[in-house]
Amino acid sequence: MAKSDALGQFEQVVLTAILSLRQDAYGVTIHAKVEELAQPKRVSLGAIYVTLDRMEDKGYISSWMSDPTPERGGRAKRCYRLEALGERALQESAATALRISEAVAKIWGKEWAKHWGKQWGKEAG
Amino acid sequence: MRNSGPPKMLEATVAFLVPPACREEVVGDLCERYRSLGQYILDAVRTIPFVIVSRIRRTACPQMLVMQAFTFYLGLLGAAWLKDRTFVGDESGLLRLVIPVGIALLGLVLDDAYAQAGQRSQMALARGPVLGLGLALVSQAFFRAIDADLAVPGPIMLYGCALALPLSSLIRTLIPPVTDQLHQANIPADWLKLSGDWRGSSRAGLIAVAVVIAIIIIGTALVRR
Repeated sequence: MAKSDALGQFEQVVLTAILSLRQDAYGVTIHAKVEELAQPKRVSLGAIYVTLDRMEDKGYISSWMSDPTPERGGRAKRCYRLEALGERALQESAATALRISEAVAKIWGKEWAKHWGKQWGKEAG
Repeated sequence: MRNSGPPKMLEATVAFLVPPACREEVVGDLCERYRSLGQYILDAVRTIPFVIVSRIRRTACPQMLVMQAFTFYLGLLGAAWLKDRTFVGDESGLLRLVIPVGIALLGLVLDDAYAQAGQRSQMALARGPVLGLGLALVSQAFFRAIDADLAVPGPIMLYGCALALPLSSLIRTLIPPVTDQLHQANIPADWLKLSGDWRGSSRAGLIAVAVVIAIIIIGTALVRR
C-alpha cells in the first residue's frame, strides 16, 4: 500500500474541486471550480492537467472517458473521481487547515476571524 | 450540431500538437471553452506545453534515458575513435559529442510522449532511436551554419549513428518504455513503479548495459589489433 504524502496547496484545491463537482468533474468544470476556490489567483488549464495526471499516478483520483458531446465537437470528456487515498489525504489537509485557523484565531482574536470571514464571503460573491 | 467552434484548420493543428494519449479530452475541453479566435489560441498556447511536459513526465524513465545516453555517446565515441582519433584527443571534441546525444535523447523522449497508448510492436519501438538519431544528424547542419566549432564532423556522425542505432534499438526491445509496461495495469503508475515488475526490468537493463560494454571492449580490442 502506498503511503499518502502531504498534499500541496494546489493539489488540495484540485481535490476539493473534484469532491464538490461529484459526477461532473472534468477538465473545464474542474478549472472553473479551482479558479473560484483559488480567488484572486488565476489558474491555467494546463496547470490543472499536470496536477490531475500527477494525482492520478499517486492513486488519489481515477478517471474514465464519458460519451462524446456535440458542444465539444463530438469529443469525449475525461471525468475524474476521488479515490479512498485522495479522500484520506484531503481529510488530513482539511484537519490541518482547521487547526491552523483555530491557532491563529486564538492569538489574533475573534475579530480577526470575523474580518477574514467577511472578506472571504465577499470574494466568493 | 455545433453552432460555433474553432476553425477546423486551427483545431487540427492543436490536435496534432497534443500527444495522442490525451488528445481527445484536451482538444474537447479547448473546444468547449471556445469564445473567440484569440481566446482559443491563447488558451491553446497556455495549455499545450503543460500537457506535453506532463506526458513526458509520465512516459520518460530516468534509468532508461541514462542507458540510452550512454549508448548514443559510446556509438559516437567509437566512430570518432575509428574515423578521427585527433577528435577524441581534443578536449572540446568529447564535449561536442554531448550535443547530438542530447538531441537524440530529446527525439526519443518525444517519440515516447507522442506514442499511442498501449503496447507497441518491435518496429514501433525501434522508431524512437531512428527519430532521435535522425534529429541529431539534421541538427548538425544547423550547428555547421551557426558555429562550425559546435558541430561534429559528418563521417563521425554517420558512423556513430550507424553504431548507436542497433544498440539503442536492442535496449528498447529488451526493456520496453514505461507506457508499454503499464499497459492494462489497473493500478496507479507510481505504485507499479515501486512494485516487483520494475525490478525485473532493472535486471534486464543491467544485462543490456553489460552487453553494450562487452561489445565496446571487444570492438576496441579488435581496432587496436
